[in-house]
Amino acid sequence: MTAIVLEHYAALSRRSIMNIVRQPIAIIPSLTFPLLFLALNSSALARAIELPGFPPVDSFLQFMISSTIIQGALFGSIAAGSDMAKDIEGGFFDRLIATPVSRSSILVGRLAGSFVLGFVQAFIFFGVASLFGLNVAGGLLGMVGVALIGATIAAGVGAISVAIALRTGSTEAVQGSFPLIFVFLFLSSAFFPRSLMHGWFKSVATLNPLSHMIEAARHQVIYGWDTSQWLTGISIAGAILVGGVVASSFALRARLAEKV
Amino acid sequence: MTEKGAYPVVAENLQRRFKDVEAVRGIDLQISRGEIFGFLGPNGAGKSTTVRMLTTLLLPSGGRASVAGYDVVKEADAVRRSIGVALQDAAIDPLMTGRELIRLQAVLHGIPRSQADGKGVELLDRVGLTAAGDRRVGTYSGGMRRRLDLALALIHTPEVLFLDEPTTGLDPNSRQAIWEEVRNLNSEGTTVFLTTQYMEEADRLAGRIAIIDNGSIVAEGTPAQLKAAIGEPTLQISLPEGTDEVAAEALLMKYGDPVDTPPGSVAVRLKGGASQVATVIRGLDEANIQVESLELHNPTLDDVFHKATGRRLEGAEDATDAGPSIQVS
Repeated sequence: MTAIVLEHYAALSRRSIMNIVRQPIAIIPSLTFPLLFLALNSSALARAIELPGFPPVDSFLQFMISSTIIQGALFGSIAAGSDMAKDIEGGFFDRLIATPVSRSSILVGRLAGSFVLGFVQAFIFFGVASLFGLNVAGGLLGMVGVALIGATIAAGVGAISVAIALRTGSTEAVQGSFPLIFVFLFLSSAFFPRSLMHGWFKSVATLNPLSHMIEAARHQVIYGWDTSQWLTGISIAGAILVGGVVASSFALRARLAEKV
Repeated sequence: MTEKGAYPVVAENLQRRFKDVEAVRGIDLQISRGEIFGFLGPNGAGKSTTVRMLTTLLLPSGGRASVAGYDVVKEADAVRRSIGVALQDAAIDPLMTGRELIRLQAVLHGIPRSQADGKGVELLDRVGLTAAGDRRVGTYSGGMRRRLDLALALIHTPEVLFLDEPTTGLDPNSRQAIWEEVRNLNSEGTTVFLTTQYMEEADRLAGRIAIIDNGSIVAEGTPAQLKAAIGEPTLQISLPEGTDEVAAEALLMKYGDPVDTPPGSVAVRLKGGASQVATVIRGLDEANIQVESLELHNPTLDDVFHKATGRRLEGAEDATDAGPSIQVS
């Protein structure tokens, strides 16, 4: 890889991060909604932790925080797709491809934005929750590990939303895919432990890779750092990232083939 | 001379179809080094489609084209390195500042930071945006955006500059500023490919013009050639009140065919061209016909367009606003 390509990666990553920082209103929902869920569930389900079979947590907050981080990462990553769609609608995309820019940097820039946002958000959530007495058994290492899982899944889902943006060129289409993320999240063990589920819901949650990813992150918070658990979590997020990158590369190619 | 040397933009039977619509129906272009070439036509005529093919943003459906000596399909990357492009909808990220965008554009063209900063300062100054350079583009006026767009297209000192309707929707002052800058650039040797739907713009800026309508080039030449092909200029004479209009018209008809005019004036298409004006004035004087004012209208590009297509161009009024022309070309 040449130095120029790396410079393109850096410049477009910087731009997409700047995009996020300069329109904070766009990321407020991805910060506030997960926090709202966290507050509601921690209070409404406070006594659920006393149920036999519930993981040994000191508060529902401790159980829930990993889900909040993943939820925030998923919501935030939509920004990558809608910013890409805005670039296409507004014509900035054309401006880019009329220059000798390395084509892959168009994707890399966007995904870097999602990754950084996912990582930073995780620490904001940890920060807020610790004001309410959150204890992370895995310590700083555990928090960084969870944040990395969050950042990776943010980039992965960001890549999928970028693929939708490249296929459709429409902000509405990207935002329309948003409820789908909700469905995946609700059909997982994000809000309740699998050990206490039963019937079809438990089967679905067990099949849902998000459950295993969230549980791997949760393990770091409840029990302390566990490398093999972390590897499970990061692998699931990584697999989604790889899938997203493949999908968005094909979508970029299709768009460029139609144009270039 | 080779194609690269003599003609920075060449198109041969260039075509583009969108499903059933033939947007560009096989056009030929040969643009010489250092010229401002005006591509004039109404909305939807195929101007932007042609520019998008020449700037590698769109694949041709047929024919071929080369820009700066490189094939737009097979050597697209080399084309991109050689051209500056300012597209119709000044698509500029509103969240970034002018200076940041120039820096980004420089990186995309692989210009080292040490050179890019100096060039950025120079370009912002050139387009009069030094003071606004650190403001977000979202706060810029339409004219400022177009000027920034122009600066962005110039960061790598391109061989050929493509300007797609650079002044559409701008106020007269902003339009003048862009025109002046385009002339300056051209005088420094940049070949300019300019699309416009304004005749006045083509007339004032372009050395050579092609008129495109419905995907085909319907007329091509220097503005003077195109207008000359229409034929004679019109001489219109306003008469003081009480003058015998019939006598005046009878006299004028010796010099050409009459043209409809409002009462109080008479007009003819001068058969012998502008050189006949002196003869007509002498004739009027000899016949003792008083004249209040005399105007010589050269054919406009709108007349050229009208003759080629049977329709009038949008914004034709803009060009006639320039007033009667007594300049003889």
